Amino acid sequence: MSVQNLPLGKAINLGLREAMLADPTVVLMGEDIGTLGGVFRVTEGLKTEFGAHRVMDTPLAESGIVGTAIGLAMRGYRPVVEIQFDGFIFPAFDQITTQLAKLTFRHEGALSMPVVIRVPYGGHIGAVEHHQESPEAYFAHTAGLRLVSPSNPHDAYWMIQEAIASKDPVMFFEPKSRYWPKGDVDTSTSGFPLHASRVVREGTDVTIVGHGAMVSMILQAADIAASEGTSVEVIDLRSLSPIDYAPILTSAAKTGRLVVAQEAPGFVSLGSEIAATVHEKSFYLLEAPVLRVSGFDTPFPPAKQEAIYLPDADRILDAVDRAMKY
Amino acid sequence: MVQLLTPEGKFAPSASAEEFLPYFEKLTDADFRKFYTDMVTVRRYDTEATNLQRQGQLALWVPSHGQEGAQVGSAYATKDQDHIFPAYREHAIAHIRGVDLIELIRQFKGITHGGWNPFDPKHKNFHIYTLVIGSHALHSTGYAMGITLDGKTNTGTPDTDEAVIVYFGDGATSQGDVSEAFVFAASYQTPQVFFVQNNHWAISVPVSVQARVPLYLRGTGFGIPGTQIDGNDVFASYAVTAKHLEDARSGKGPSLIEAHTYRIGAHTSSDDPTKYRTDEELQGWIKKDPIARLETYLRESGADEKFFTSVHEQAADFAADIRRRAVELTAPGPESIFRSVYSEPHPVMEEQQAWLAAYDASFEEEA
Amino acid sequence: MTAAKFYLPDVGEGLTEAEIVSWKVKPGDAVDVNQVLVEIETAKSLVELPSPYAGTVGELLVAEGETVEVGTAIVTIESEGSSQLTAPTPTLAQAAMANEVFVTDASEVDGAKDANEEKSGSVLVGYGTGGHGATRRRRPSAAGNASPAPVPPAATEAPKRPVLPIVETLGVIAKPPIRKLAKDLDVDLSKVEPTGIAGEVTRDDVVRHAQQASVFRNIATPEWSADREERIPVKGVRKAIATAMVQSAFSAPHVSVFVDVDATRTMEFVKRLKDSTDFAGVKVSPLLILAKAIIWAVRRNPTVNSTWTDKEIIVHHYVNLGIAAATPRGLIVPNVKEAQSMSLLELARGLEQLTLNARDGKTSPADMADGTITVTNIGVFGMDTGTPILNPGEVGIVALGTIKQKPWVFEGEVRPRFVTTLGASFDHRVVDGDVASRFLADVASIVEEPALLLD
Repeated sequence: MSVQNLPLGKAINLGLREAMLADPTVVLMGEDIGTLGGVFRVTEGLKTEFGAHRVMDTPLAESGIVGTAIGLAMRGYRPVVEIQFDGFIFPAFDQITTQLAKLTFRHEGALSMPVVIRVPYGGHIGAVEHHQESPEAYFAHTAGLRLVSPSNPHDAYWMIQEAIASKDPVMFFEPKSRYWPKGDVDTSTSGFPLHASRVVREGTDVTIVGHGAMVSMILQAADIAASEGTSVEVIDLRSLSPIDYAPILTSAAKTGRLVVAQEAPGFVSLGSEIAATVHEKSFYLLEAPVLRVSGFDTPFPPAKQEAIYLPDADRILDAVDRAMKY
Repeated sequence: MVQLLTPEGKFAPSASAEEFLPYFEKLTDADFRKFYTDMVTVRRYDTEATNLQRQGQLALWVPSHGQEGAQVGSAYATKDQDHIFPAYREHAIAHIRGVDLIELIRQFKGITHGGWNPFDPKHKNFHIYTLVIGSHALHSTGYAMGITLDGKTNTGTPDTDEAVIVYFGDGATSQGDVSEAFVFAASYQTPQVFFVQNNHWAISVPVSVQARVPLYLRGTGFGIPGTQIDGNDVFASYAVTAKHLEDARSGKGPSLIEAHTYRIGAHTSSDDPTKYRTDEELQGWIKKDPIARLETYLRESGADEKFFTSVHEQAADFAADIRRRAVELTAPGPESIFRSVYSEPHPVMEEQQAWLAAYDASFEEEA
Repeated sequence: MTAAKFYLPDVGEGLTEAEIVSWKVKPGDAVDVNQVLVEIETAKSLVELPSPYAGTVGELLVAEGETVEVGTAIVTIESEGSSQLTAPTPTLAQAAMANEVFVTDASEVDGAKDANEEKSGSVLVGYGTGGHGATRRRRPSAAGNASPAPVPPAATEAPKRPVLPIVETLGVIAKPPIRKLAKDLDVDLSKVEPTGIAGEVTRDDVVRHAQQASVFRNIATPEWSADREERIPVKGVRKAIATAMVQSAFSAPHVSVFVDVDATRTMEFVKRLKDSTDFAGVKVSPLLILAKAIIWAVRRNPTVNSTWTDKEIIVHHYVNLGIAAATPRGLIVPNVKEAQSMSLLELARGLEQLTLNARDGKTSPADMADGTITVTNIGVFGMDTGTPILNPGEVGIVALGTIKQKPWVFEGEVRPRFVTTLGASFDHRVVDGDVASRFLADVASIVEEPALLLD
């Protein structure tokens, strides 16, 4: 058992390093990832260790980054691409959705696309426009892609390696507001498969589901609820596509009440999908409808207003209150 | 514009053709006859496919009629180890690289989105078609970057050194992805040739809307040199592509060829060119046909009637065989929809496939 | 020689029809494969159609100038050897559109193509009438047709519809509306006998259980006793009941009247009272509303609230409302004193207290004395109605039966409504049929519309 206490960003850095040591076909690509080590320093030190041919500073062209990564994958490499900020993924949207997601299907299985796209995402860092987005839903909606999001350093360390090892394209959503807080990382064993969801806190009255940065917010809310006498069970989704519903449904059967919390806008979101599925599969067992706590259906506002926009413990607890009233 | 064979079928190299002549001089009469055979065969196939569409057998057909010269010449300049990234009209190149042309029929009949495995040696690295205009330019550049990373080019052994050639049209040069491919290609000095088939029309939009400057100069600003050729001149297409590929595989980085040709047919079977271009223009280009000029040249260098008759008969047989096989093609069952979405097992694919199977089984047998 | 047909193809990615512009061949002509047969005009362009067959032209099936749908046979060709090409199958969208008539005015439908025999009626502009030609795939007629998906594991037959996996239930299966109903009616779902086809608790199950508030339910059927007879001494409460019953039954001529009433609004009112904070912690049931109804009806029909003596009829201007309560030792009838001056809340408390005392065996003789009119709830036992016997000294008694959903004509339509039968018995020495009926009608009118209590 070897446990280190690391920030999430550093955990990903170590995970990348492990992957690159284990497999010489793993190459990193992105803007500023080489010499600078990435604007969040997630790739720090890797160019020095592995060389410019494996840690490439690319031109400023997201579509080009993903498109050439696809070509490299065709050649037998395992490219790990960084999109510098969530809001800048859209120039690559075509390459991701019409090409990366569909090339295996188009080749009737003769070609795999083992490409990882790392995307720092989410708010709570007081940044300017396009730097605090949560665009997961656009990609979860596209068949052929897999999406995951670690909420803590231990998961970040392991999930990046598992994503790289996957033969399928994996979008790796990194909660940037969690890059610096530290957590324990057991580097000897992962403990959970890449696409598994996980109960991170047990409870009996109501279940709250979330991913990425939202998980720590939910746990805070759960503590407050406990002090008020409500027992909250918390589930970390970890995998956004496919979603591992088994623990969620077991929990819904146990508590009868479910809340989904996310930074993303609510309309046509992961929360909507989870609510619909849980309603369908647990209809007879629910005491209350599944409630969603989301960002508003507006563009992400200027940083001074992000506290209004982003769900916090109060908004989550409000949903808990409403769920408990049924 | 580099030209070796005039529309009248005369061998008359332009001044700009000088540096490419050594490549042409490697060709023999047998090669010329192969060029001719392939062009005639593919044109006959193209006509058959057009008819099949008009008979309701194919949902769509994308005719290559008129562009055989550019495609056949450049295809013969490639080596087996090169990777070829076509757009969606390069049927002649598919044929030359060993793809059974029935596979293209499968795609346009609506049976598959691909049709063949480019990594099967018999297909000689001819990639499947990409319908999103220009997207594949980036894939070709990424692939070429991989060749460099592997150290499989510029080793001084041209027989095994690898290069990449990517084909797209004049319309595609406006797409951002093509420009981004130029940026990456130049930045990483990829071993590749960008082959622009300027057939003068992007559906109904003339090339003058895509470019104010001749397309062979499009790469200049990016650091990618270009050559303009008479695309209906199969000799020029061969020679210029041969030199550019040699440059690519010997470390000189990416380059571009603009082949002036013409889309004699419609953009696809859904298009009606009479609505946007003149018959005068069409007739003008028909006079510059790539097959006609080569036929003239071959006749004047001694090919007899038997040769031409035999070529046309074989082409007719080829087309008839395609017809027979096309009519017999059937669509795969529902499982194929779920099978290759992911490379690894996926719970949603399993769940939905099982659902569909149970759903279908719940109905009465259709009488 | 086979006569093969050439069907009009969709030449342009979703076209639905084309006009035959000019035939390039005539019957009897020899044609090769790919020889141009005809020129057609589509929405997009003029197109030549080449022959799929070699042979002799048989019949030109469509005239020049005519427009036909994709899939229509346009010409026959007699050929040797070539097999019939299958007709192009239009996409679902094409088939649907081919059958639709897009009209700007629903009234134009009448003059539309004769292919459109069935019309769906008035539709929004631009949506077409559809109807003709659209069918659905047929399922085998076994019961699987009707089963809703998903079916919980308790279903006994294999579902015909594909079933999405459902988590194993950890307790009671009940749909959310039924859970709410149970909560409103104060029913513990886990104690309700479920009768749903999938093992779920239904609305009826809950409502029925709600009325069985009594503790004394037979749950098991005992074996026949080994003894031939059991002798129960007549004493105590049993003796008192017997004496009272004989006294009433054989001195007062009993007459009973019955009326069915839509009690839905009473049920809704009860629900609202339960949700209100004022009534938190107090048992609220339809019986409470009925009690109020009786008191109000007594104001309007005073003689039902009286006592017969041989010399005079004493009409009481107060109501000591008796409530028949089942106890382990038998039926007793304690009463709420001065019920007429109680608020709804006070009455609820009063009734609740009486019931609890009775259950606990703590009813005092004073509670049981001086009643003026009684209500008995046989609905808790599942009975629709009955012929109650008067409490000695009284001339009227009202029986409340089960309240359950039945078809009822409401606002001109048959709807499921909560319906109950009110029964009442009277001493005909004091109360004639008209008074009896008016009284019960008044009670019924409150049950139907509790808002009348605001009078």
